[in-house]
Amino acid sequence: MSPTSLTVDRSQAPPPGRDRPFRFPTFHRRTLGPDLELFVAQIPRVPLVRLDLFTPAGGHFDPRDQPGLAASMADMLDEGNHAKTAPQIAAATERLGGSISTGAGWNSTFASASMLSRDLEHGAELLAEIVRTATFPVEELERQRQKRLADLLQQRNDPRSLAGKRFSRVVFDGTPYGSPLGGTEKSLRTVSQPALVDFYDRYFPTGGSRIVAVGDLDPEEITDLAGTLFGDFFHGPRPELPSFEVQPLEATEVHIVDRPGAAQTELLLGHAGICRRHPDFASILVMNSLLGGKFTSRINLNLRERHGYTYGAYSQFMGRLGPGPFTISTAVGTEVTAAAVREIFVEIRRIQQERVTEEELAHTKSYLRGIFAQQLQTVDDLAFRLGTLAVYDLPDDYFDQYFRRIEETDRQQVLTLAQEYLHPDRMAIIAVGPAVELMHQLKDLGSVRVWSSEDD
Amino acid sequence: MSVPASRLQVDRRQLPNGLKVNLHRDPSLPLVAINLWYHVGSKNERPGRTGFAHLFEHMLFQGSQHIDTNGHFQSVQQVGGIVNGSTWYDRTNYYETLPASHLGLGLWLESDRMGFLLPAMTPEKLENQRNVVMNERRQRIDNRPYGIAHERLHELLYPADHPYHWPVIGYMEDIAAATMEDVQSFFRTYYAPNNAVLTLAGDFESESAFRQIEDYFGPIASAPLPDPPRPTLAPMTGERRDEIADEILLSRVYIAFHAPAYGHRLWYAADLLTTALTGGKSSPLYQDLVYRREIAQDISMSLLPTELSSMLYVVATCKPGVSPAILEEAILEHLAEAATRVIPAEHLERARNQVLNSFYRNLQALDRRADAMSEFTVYFDDPEGVNDEARSYLDLSPQDLLDYASKYWLPKQKAVVTFVPKNGESSP
Repeated sequence: MSPTSLTVDRSQAPPPGRDRPFRFPTFHRRTLGPDLELFVAQIPRVPLVRLDLFTPAGGHFDPRDQPGLAASMADMLDEGNHAKTAPQIAAATERLGGSISTGAGWNSTFASASMLSRDLEHGAELLAEIVRTATFPVEELERQRQKRLADLLQQRNDPRSLAGKRFSRVVFDGTPYGSPLGGTEKSLRTVSQPALVDFYDRYFPTGGSRIVAVGDLDPEEITDLAGTLFGDFFHGPRPELPSFEVQPLEATEVHIVDRPGAAQTELLLGHAGICRRHPDFASILVMNSLLGGKFTSRINLNLRERHGYTYGAYSQFMGRLGPGPFTISTAVGTEVTAAAVREIFVEIRRIQQERVTEEELAHTKSYLRGIFAQQLQTVDDLAFRLGTLAVYDLPDDYFDQYFRRIEETDRQQVLTLAQEYLHPDRMAIIAVGPAVELMHQLKDLGSVRVWSSEDD
Repeated sequence: MSVPASRLQVDRRQLPNGLKVNLHRDPSLPLVAINLWYHVGSKNERPGRTGFAHLFEHMLFQGSQHIDTNGHFQSVQQVGGIVNGSTWYDRTNYYETLPASHLGLGLWLESDRMGFLLPAMTPEKLENQRNVVMNERRQRIDNRPYGIAHERLHELLYPADHPYHWPVIGYMEDIAAATMEDVQSFFRTYYAPNNAVLTLAGDFESESAFRQIEDYFGPIASAPLPDPPRPTLAPMTGERRDEIADEILLSRVYIAFHAPAYGHRLWYAADLLTTALTGGKSSPLYQDLVYRREIAQDISMSLLPTELSSMLYVVATCKPGVSPAILEEAILEHLAEAATRVIPAEHLERARNQVLNSFYRNLQALDRRADAMSEFTVYFDDPEGVNDEARSYLDLSPQDLLDYASKYWLPKQKAVVTFVPKNGESSP
């Protein structure tokens, strides 16, 4: 079935049409109390709304001997309060088709409600009831303890979880980020109701909290409603952030988590990176995107398209209030593990030694601009972006600045940032797979230590 | 309960070569989503050559006569777009979302691989993508706890000669055996304009967009299509089951039943029933098995939207120390009840509201809308049918749910797969 006519020029892409610029959606910032702010954006296109509440009570406050405390506290917020039992709370949102979720990240604890816009008032009231009157019932804590312990058992056979846990242990040793956000078997066995209540009292109803409201709603009405429900609750100074420094490794280390007979080897490489508020965050994102942050990055094209070692390989700088991780992750055939690691190092050293081409840089900037617009199509998308402003305390014009910074990044800056923020001589190389084969392959890359999947 | 009146509009066209075109204008964002469905999937394969539709999808990103290797990813990403494809039992889709000004780029790319693929195919590219796909299979299935479950359920629920018997990604030895001749004949057989639907959603001007579509796709010749597979599916005469010893610590139970093809009234009844029984922490199965008796770590039910017939399945993970037999029995008791008595009104009401919520949620992004419109064209020849899907659920009566369960949840017509730890029982 060969085509019969060739009237259109297929030798190149047609010229683009007129560009219609993308603008960040309008939003408002309202003060509800001392150091309590509401971010609100109206999207009338669909009859949906979402409310997100963030407080500073994140995992970064976990006591050294009680990792997972923030996560346990956050999970328990919707497991019983002055008015309702756990099943009653679940039924109250689900019967309207909505959902409530609570949880902890490193930087904050969140409580979110999603619902049809006709149910906004009901959802907001329920959210307020949950965060204001949680009682952390002992029998629910036991149930949650058993569930989380079982989760930990499941993670022991999940290559990606094993790699992530070992990476944090090696790279963030001695800091809050070194322990699992969800806690360890030991800490889960000892977490108590008084400890949860104490953590909640100290870090939850405090200044520095933020509310995000997005969707088919009236900005004035939601401001009044949120003021009534939360205005008097979040008060006092915001808790002082824990300060810690991450000690870089002295040399590249190999850590193998043994999974005899595994069909593949999961790889996670990296070291500590940057804070989300880092002034060069946007430019570092440009550098990372070119190196390993998109399908057409150097690392993915090398490992996947040139060598066929993997289904995909990606790098990432994850920003937190403190220095988050820089990681490169992939899963490869065990027999090519060392070869894949070497190719990753080749790409890191190349971006540190030679300036990237003008063309690659222009394409990367254009990619980052374009996908930003695409990732703002839904209520959840916009709530996520406003949540970033809220949690990291970024200015209202942050995303305009972000675009400007991307635009201004030049080849020299990419080179300088790659030299400054990539450390191939101080990498943690985590390989989850059959140790017998991997030890032999990886021994030339750095000191080798072998772990079992049960090691904490 | 109401579904608001703002319907998504579709301007339907068709080219003389048979390509169906859907134009859905929404200028609220400066983006355009392009979506192509080819009515070919793993069900068009044959035993011994499984996984080929998916491997072939990978080959469609390896360039065509006028497009370089990886030119799709390169030229879309460099203008700020996203691009990908996916393969399913019944279809293969290709899609990109672009800044609106780059609509022409997407049409150029998609038409070139529809009309001019074969000159760019080489044994080296095939070898490379065979390796990529084998790693994909390891990553998604072979190296993942419980990863083989769906493959086994399909093998047990469908007889060996039924095209839903084998997995979309295919068996390792079949992937390894794919040849250049397979690439050529698969392309010539299935990748014709009269076997495809093209949907645009977003910010464009309809007449000029359609002219561009005519320019790029019009010259591609149609092809005679083979008859679609129409396998018969005799009722199962006995339960089929398997126990798999895996590298896991918690046992797990999968129970699968047949359901009607996607689009049938009882398909929607089955889907609403899954939400009524396991949709959320207030659902009856969660409340009983996870919350009250604490014998399950989690529980969910799902229904596949497939064209010939569908599979409905329950997945539940055992709490440490709980045997899969206990959990299986407890689940089956609940299912038996749902097959003999109408479901309590509160659960039906919740499920309806949950469906309505996800209905709106799913139609927000342009790429999701475009995909749904292509889907409704391929299966039902009705792109605007996407607007009525919530209605298909809301109109169901409790009796419809009971009709499905009583007709399909028969003890002898199910497949069960249990996973147990390789090294004996886990300690509580």
